[in-house]
Amino acid sequence: MSVNAIDAKLLTQMFLCGAKELEDHKEHINELNVFPVPDGDTGTNMSLTILSAAREVNDLGDASMKDINKAMSSGSLRGARGNSGVILSQLIRGFGKVARNQDTLTAPVIAEAFERARDTAYKAVMKPMEGTILTVAREAAEKCREVVDGGEEDLDVIFRAVLEAAEAALNSTPELLPVLKQAGVVDSGGAGLLCVLKGAYAGFGGKVVDFAALTEEKKEEPEGPAVEEPQYLYKEKFTIYLKNASGKAGSRIEKELTEYINSVGTGLVCMLGSDRISVSLGTNDPALVLQKALLYGDLAKITIDNVVFDSRDDGEESAAPQEEAPAEEEPAPEEPRKPVGFITVAVGDGIAEIFTGLGVDYIISGGQTMNPSTDDILKAVDKVNADTIFVMPNNKNIVMAANQAASLCEDKKLVVIPTKTIPQGITAVINYTPDLDADANKENMMEEIGRVKTAEITYAVRDTEINDIQIHEGDFMGIADKGIVSAGPDREATIMETMRKIVDEETEIISVYYGADVTAEEAEALADQIREEFESCDVEVQKGGQPIYYYILSAE
Amino acid sequence: MAKVAVITDSNSGITQQMGKEMGVSVVPMPFMIGGETYYEDVTMSREEFFQRMGSGEKIVTSQPSPGEVMKIWDRALEKNDQVVYIPMSSGLSGSCQSALMFADDYDGRVQVVNNQRISVTMRASVLDALALAEKGFDAVRIKEILEKEKFESSIYIMLDTLEYLKRGGRITPAAAAIGTLLRLKPVLQIQGEKLDAYSKARTVNQGKTTMLTAMKKDINERFGGTDTETCHLYAVHASCPDTFAPWREEVRAAFPGFRVYDDVLSLSICTHIGPGALAIACSKKLEIPEL
Repeated sequence: MSVNAIDAKLLTQMFLCGAKELEDHKEHINELNVFPVPDGDTGTNMSLTILSAAREVNDLGDASMKDINKAMSSGSLRGARGNSGVILSQLIRGFGKVARNQDTLTAPVIAEAFERARDTAYKAVMKPMEGTILTVAREAAEKCREVVDGGEEDLDVIFRAVLEAAEAALNSTPELLPVLKQAGVVDSGGAGLLCVLKGAYAGFGGKVVDFAALTEEKKEEPEGPAVEEPQYLYKEKFTIYLKNASGKAGSRIEKELTEYINSVGTGLVCMLGSDRISVSLGTNDPALVLQKALLYGDLAKITIDNVVFDSRDDGEESAAPQEEAPAEEEPAPEEPRKPVGFITVAVGDGIAEIFTGLGVDYIISGGQTMNPSTDDILKAVDKVNADTIFVMPNNKNIVMAANQAASLCEDKKLVVIPTKTIPQGITAVINYTPDLDADANKENMMEEIGRVKTAEITYAVRDTEINDIQIHEGDFMGIADKGIVSAGPDREATIMETMRKIVDEETEIISVYYGADVTAEEAEALADQIREEFESCDVEVQKGGQPIYYYILSAE
Repeated sequence: MAKVAVITDSNSGITQQMGKEMGVSVVPMPFMIGGETYYEDVTMSREEFFQRMGSGEKIVTSQPSPGEVMKIWDRALEKNDQVVYIPMSSGLSGSCQSALMFADDYDGRVQVVNNQRISVTMRASVLDALALAEKGFDAVRIKEILEKEKFESSIYIMLDTLEYLKRGGRITPAAAAIGTLLRLKPVLQIQGEKLDAYSKARTVNQGKTTMLTAMKKDINERFGGTDTETCHLYAVHASCPDTFAPWREEVRAAFPGFRVYDDVLSLSICTHIGPGALAIACSKKLEIPEL
């Protein structure tokens, strides 16, 4: 029996099966990393992207073709992470633009939808490259068109032809992209897309996936790299008697205060009835939260314990300082929006501190190992109370998600400065000039980040050859803006060789950001070595605290 | 026609010697170093100032004593009918406010110009005042004209280090650039009133580009654009002739056709910015109105 049309219910099932297939194979796709770096994440990114859409589709229950396509599109757009995730979301969006106008999907509709998907994805990429997920999408769409134009109406026949073409396209990627061939892998994004298509075909054939089980797994995904729970010296508790006691104001204050507390420590904010809020937290500066809390009302039952000293003198009464809060007349202010804010993406306490010191309002934890999604960026945007927000993604795999966030954000103007590395991000923020408007600033920042050359030092997780450099598992590697430039068993020698590649006569300053696995002494010793060799340059050492990368270095 | 004397203070960068040649009395600014008071260009030379600064001594500026200022006014009034006094910007020092107060006792014979200038742009005002006096304007009119033009000047300064700004502790808005672990080259601006943060740079070249771009924007939008005759342009430094030499050429190259004067920043500013600062300054040329 041949099936000539897909209805809403079947499309849902196919989409869910596609998502499941991708989720099942994400680890395998992660390993298709061109660079032998312990941070392959294409599979994870694509899986998170499609699961975000799957969840929205699931929430719909029985729905029309139009609603399902809308949910697939908006869910994947918001959940998009990494470049492959963004491209996948654009493929889904393009497909949906055609499919949403139909009650059932017949062969001609599917051919058109595939073509629209391909066109939308190509348009989303500034410089489309062959040998990537785009090639797989293009060949699949072309085959579909060919078979449908040949008069075929049986979807099973069409899908099998499309799958075959997609698989062939994927296998051709190493021929199209030398870097893949050298690394001996096929394109990871293309492999992810093939997974989705295969899964969808299984769904077409009657395979059923449990919505709940699938989206349950999503919830277990970490939201970002695990951050160590900081230890704070003071335990602080108090109650706020709100001046403006209404339920609405209360929950707003609860939210604001929670955010504030999490910026200076860690703690809990809890409404007690409509007019009181109980607060308990750990912090290193107890006065900050008290001051903030005073804005909302009068304070009572204040206790502050020093967790180190107070627990030592056990015999004595633990003398928690008591403070009676003065009554303040000021109304709880509805903070006016400031004109400009900054959001950046970074991991590492030292790097976070540098960005904070430069005036960045919100740092999204993430980077190469964990690309924040469009939605993560939009959530950060919600937390920054500014009209115009500059977003520095600091990673080439996050730039597209940031751009997508900019196009989805309605009430604030997002200006994405496409920084690809942490040093570029730092330079971009430094070069912000309050007296100039957003466009002029963007122009300046773009010009300045173009002068920043970055190198990252990490280790190889497998043997490979890239750019004619032989790399062995466990080797140290220097990765510059255009790829791996040196590798070897000696870390410092590898770094120096890398620096020779990025430093030139115009270099004025070399910055060394040392990672979590490097001591300050090691970093200083390295800096001395760099000073000795590049004597005309200033060398600055900063604690970065980043994982995986021993050093992030920049020459500008 | 009233005979008008022009008096300024040493923040104008006008030395005692230059003052004599120009016919302008210059009130020397006092500096406190190690508990002792020195007077700019009288008991302390520019060279000695930077020497002591370099050796890490804390230098505090203060305003000239009322007695000192009035003595110079009185002396000028012996030979003149009126005095125009141009002190440093009231945004940077209380000396202008004090002078306005003492002037009350002179029945209008002393006019204090509160035109928010400092250093090179302040000197331009002094020259304008002389030209106006020569044309026959009285002290009240001169004050009026100069104050009308008060914001028609602009200075950008790139610091070599934040150290002196931190030491001074007085310039809070500019200090906004300090909350960072990085060694930055802050670019400050003086638009009339205050020494204020403008931007930051990571390297000297970035900072220079920032200053040149900012000045081009000012000239285009505030000072008459491509007309090279409408403003005075200055390449300036604190006390770093070696780094200044290429900077001067860069300023000239960036503003072809403009006449660029070389100058140094006055010591009161140098106290806060340190010897290694480079700057660019501009002031609109005064169009002398009809009498």
